[in-house]
Amino acid sequence: MSDSKYFTTTKKGEIYELKADLNSDKKEKKKEAVKKVIASMTIGKDVSSLFPDVVNCMQTDNLELKKLVYLYLMNYAKSQPDMAIMAVNTFVKDCDDTNPLIRALAVRTMGCIRVDKITEYLCEPLRKCLKDEDPYVQKTAAVCVAKLYDINPQLVEDQGFIDQLKDLLTASNPMVVANAVAALSEISEASPSGSALFDLNSQTINKLLTALNECTEWGQIFILDSLANFTPKDEKEAQSICERVTPRLAHANAAVVLSAVKVLMKFMEMMDPSGDYIDTLVKKLSPPLVTLLSAEPEVQYVALRNINLIVQKRADILKHEMKVFFVKYNDPIYVKLEKLDIMIRLASQGNIAQVLAELKEYATEVDVDFVRKSVRAIGRCAIKVEQSAERCVSTLLDLIQTKVNYVVQEAIVVIKDIFRKYPNKYESIIATLCENLDTLDEPEARASMIWIIGEYAERIDNADELLESFVEGFQDENSQVQLQLLTAVVKLFLKRPQNTQELVQSVLTLSTQNSDNPDLRDRGYIYWRLLSTDPAAAKNVVLAEKPLISEETDLIEPTLLDELICYIGSLASVYHKPPSAFVEGRAGARRALPTRSSGSGSASPEPAAAQQVQEVLTVIPTTPASQNDLLGDLVNLDLGPSNQQFMSPAPPAPAQDSSSFDLLGGGLDSLLDAQPQPIQQSTPSMGLGGPIPQAAAPPGGVPPGNLGVLGDLFGVGSASEEYVAPKEVWLEAPKCKGLELKGTFSKRMNNYYMDMTFTNKAMQQMSGFAIQLNKNSFGLVPAQALNISSPLNANQHIDVSLQLVINAQHMQRMDPLMNLQVAIKNNIDVFYFSALVPMYLFFTADGNMDKKYFLNSWKDIPSQNESAFVINNVTLNSDEIQEKLNKSKVFTVAKRRVEGQDMLYQSMKLVNNVEILAELKVQPDNPTLNLAIKSKVVDVAPAVFHSFNMILHG
Amino acid sequence: MFASLFGSKEMRILILGLDGAGKTTILYRLQVGEVVTTIPTIGFNVETVTYKNLKFQVWDLGGQTSIRPYWRCYYANTDAIIYVVDSCDKDRLGISKSELVAMLEEEELKKAILVVFANKQDMEGALSKTEVTNALGLTALKSRTWSIFATSAVKGDGLTEAMDWLTKQLSSGQ
Repeated sequence: MSDSKYFTTTKKGEIYELKADLNSDKKEKKKEAVKKVIASMTIGKDVSSLFPDVVNCMQTDNLELKKLVYLYLMNYAKSQPDMAIMAVNTFVKDCDDTNPLIRALAVRTMGCIRVDKITEYLCEPLRKCLKDEDPYVQKTAAVCVAKLYDINPQLVEDQGFIDQLKDLLTASNPMVVANAVAALSEISEASPSGSALFDLNSQTINKLLTALNECTEWGQIFILDSLANFTPKDEKEAQSICERVTPRLAHANAAVVLSAVKVLMKFMEMMDPSGDYIDTLVKKLSPPLVTLLSAEPEVQYVALRNINLIVQKRADILKHEMKVFFVKYNDPIYVKLEKLDIMIRLASQGNIAQVLAELKEYATEVDVDFVRKSVRAIGRCAIKVEQSAERCVSTLLDLIQTKVNYVVQEAIVVIKDIFRKYPNKYESIIATLCENLDTLDEPEARASMIWIIGEYAERIDNADELLESFVEGFQDENSQVQLQLLTAVVKLFLKRPQNTQELVQSVLTLSTQNSDNPDLRDRGYIYWRLLSTDPAAAKNVVLAEKPLISEETDLIEPTLLDELICYIGSLASVYHKPPSAFVEGRAGARRALPTRSSGSGSASPEPAAAQQVQEVLTVIPTTPASQNDLLGDLVNLDLGPSNQQFMSPAPPAPAQDSSSFDLLGGGLDSLLDAQPQPIQQSTPSMGLGGPIPQAAAPPGGVPPGNLGVLGDLFGVGSASEEYVAPKEVWLEAPKCKGLELKGTFSKRMNNYYMDMTFTNKAMQQMSGFAIQLNKNSFGLVPAQALNISSPLNANQHIDVSLQLVINAQHMQRMDPLMNLQVAIKNNIDVFYFSALVPMYLFFTADGNMDKKYFLNSWKDIPSQNESAFVINNVTLNSDEIQEKLNKSKVFTVAKRRVEGQDMLYQSMKLVNNVEILAELKVQPDNPTLNLAIKSKVVDVAPAVFHSFNMILHG
Repeated sequence: MFASLFGSKEMRILILGLDGAGKTTILYRLQVGEVVTTIPTIGFNVETVTYKNLKFQVWDLGGQTSIRPYWRCYYANTDAIIYVVDSCDKDRLGISKSELVAMLEEEELKKAILVVFANKQDMEGALSKTEVTNALGLTALKSRTWSIFATSAVKGDGLTEAMDWLTKQLSSGQ
């Protein structure tokens, strides 16, 4: 007997039986069958083949059965998109049912069925339900609109559902209002145009505030969040909103509390900082935040992360509450670490004794991470509260005496920072530190210790020995340590040149020749060159006075902090990152705190913020062991004026001259000669490879081809990047007595050129070339005469680049717009031709519009100004297209992905300030692009299209 | 057997036809005896209709091109088909015919009784019963119990006759 018997069975199977039961005319049997189907579905069995049979059970007056069928539909409609259409009529009927529960159930299920084919049929019932007399149906419909927006935003906008939602904001039922708010906020977050959809006015705000007290906690959160996005017109309005929001601080739900805190934090920005009301609010904010800390640890953590932001913004809110942030022995580690952070932020002269006592206690705990952070915290306290520095240092010394390895290492790292903050104050402890040299095995601690030795080399008698011992193992060190070691040895050499030449020589060799770390190598070369050309300058650079570090180093950057304050109570406030950093495809407008409008317009916190940013910036580059250090140096070297003080007092770079003072007696010079090669290999055309004077020259002076990498890095945008069309034949030899002319137009360094190749295909010599341009739309005229001095012999050719400039007197509208009529003369004859100047030459670098501006401009330009084009045979993907166009100053303002196709919204600006907007539709695997162009000047469209065509096919 | 004697056995009837033929109107005319305003049926309606002590489970399926492929899902155990034709829609009689022919070839419908409603007789220019019969080629049908009635769902004309005939056929077939 064959094995086929295993495949034949008399049993028809479960699915078959279920199918029969579903089609039974006994209601009970039917219901049982549907239940069985749902059960199978829940445990993951595929019952999608029963789709038609289950859908047929949909029209029933049994609510229980209906619910089960709806559940099935939500799950399987997606896998049976065609068949799902059979359910439409039932939805339509159910949305008309007399029972509001059924109406709501239907509209809710409709929203959950994400099948494109049937969405359009569901608009009518949805519209009806939005106007339903029953609030439960209305609120369900409101949520459904948001869901529909996710599937098909265009449909929602076209059908006017957004306006209907806005109408619901004024509904009498708080639940409806809250859900309408929720739907609208979700839609405006998802919409590319940002919050433009959702403008609150004072009247609706009032409605929201009324609903706030009566709706569920979810509703309250949504309402509070949208209140936070509202900008009151004046301080008074802000106050009255705060007045009505404050009671929410007493809510039991932590999310409601945080949302209320967010509203208050935002609106406080608008208030007179010296006014009484701010004081009242500050007092009211403290207790609810403290209360959050008695919740479960996870909630505590979220609260702490938010408090961390709040404290950085307004330290006075919790200044008297230090004790609640003291760590409890049974706190989970993540809570402990966060509390520690906040303790430091709250530390002040008044409470420092208490804090230090706590921190010292923590430093003896068992959890290594926690201990480390505690030690670090002591250092941060020393930097923050000057009066406590001495106490902190002695505490740290006590801790070093414990000889616990990781404590010692951590202490050394922070002591380095203390030295930076209070130079020449605590050097007496260096001896103690040096005792522990051998136990340091972590890179950061080693680097810190090496920095200390280098910095105070003149006071440490055996500094050279100490550093020498480190240099022995140079190659095994971490790059952070290597960099520090290099700097420290150079410092040592500059301070004590006797007996240390050998050491510095060896460390320079190690870092330049035996290392493949580019940072290390570059720093080595810089030092080397400084030392060999101008030791005085080297001294000034390497031993320059360092700016003091301050507490601000570990504060969040103020603009980011302000943005994060706007996201209190969300994931962004827990991550301390703006949503755009972790939510894919989020391009929504950045939120910013409101500013006080009363008084002079400049009363905004901006100047202070900017100053703080600068302070932070000034600290970074000189922080020991910082990788940024080198980058900072490079930036200074090449972009000169931006951050001069690190170079200062930078002497004028001397010409490379063999007679310059040679510190190392020729040894270096011979090496130096061998250098340029390896450098150029590693960083071609970075400007550093050349002689020193050129390296220090500003980029403007560097020939364009040489800009290479650095140009890209700093967005200088070198001219060679811009698209240049291949030369085309302008004059044909047979028709022009043997003269062939090929040419193209290009733009380099913002100058226009006509690049031409003249070829003599006649038998005789040609000479006396001249060129003339007729008046044209952009007034292009040659900047100089055609420069072909020597006669052109037979079968010779010559390349000429003729610079063109714009001359207003030479302007005349041409048709076609970009037409340029040219006359070429030689000793034989005069020849005429016309060529089309590509419009992209006239696109300017400042054509990149901001999103909002783009949107408004698009709306402002009447639709009859829009022209549509089709670009064929483009095999690039949207990113490549974007990049290509960008090089020719066609800027992509926004990119949106709709149903698998990319919409690129682009802007350009012509030299005569005409703005051009474009929408480019790119479908994957389709070489045909659709281009829509809008501009106040309609006539430019064909030329823009021509430009796109050229660039994309180039 | 017993069930049919007590009249509790539900007969399964399908109402089919092209879109806009008047299927839904007929269904509700039969069920509640009134003309209801209808919108195109995207999907189906199912109602229980009691006529002369007989209970029918009547399925009214949408006639749109996109829905016609799913008619077949409803063929099993069908006792009778009411095929509705818009007598004024002369242009699409051909399509109507081919849909009907294709349907009648289905194995599952071998035993189903066919009633054709030449509907919309109240409209001007409506084809007569005979003309519809010829256009659909009904006379060519073999081994099928069938009949055709001139109806107007809006006015209610012809429906009673048709249902009388149908109930008679169904009960005799039991």
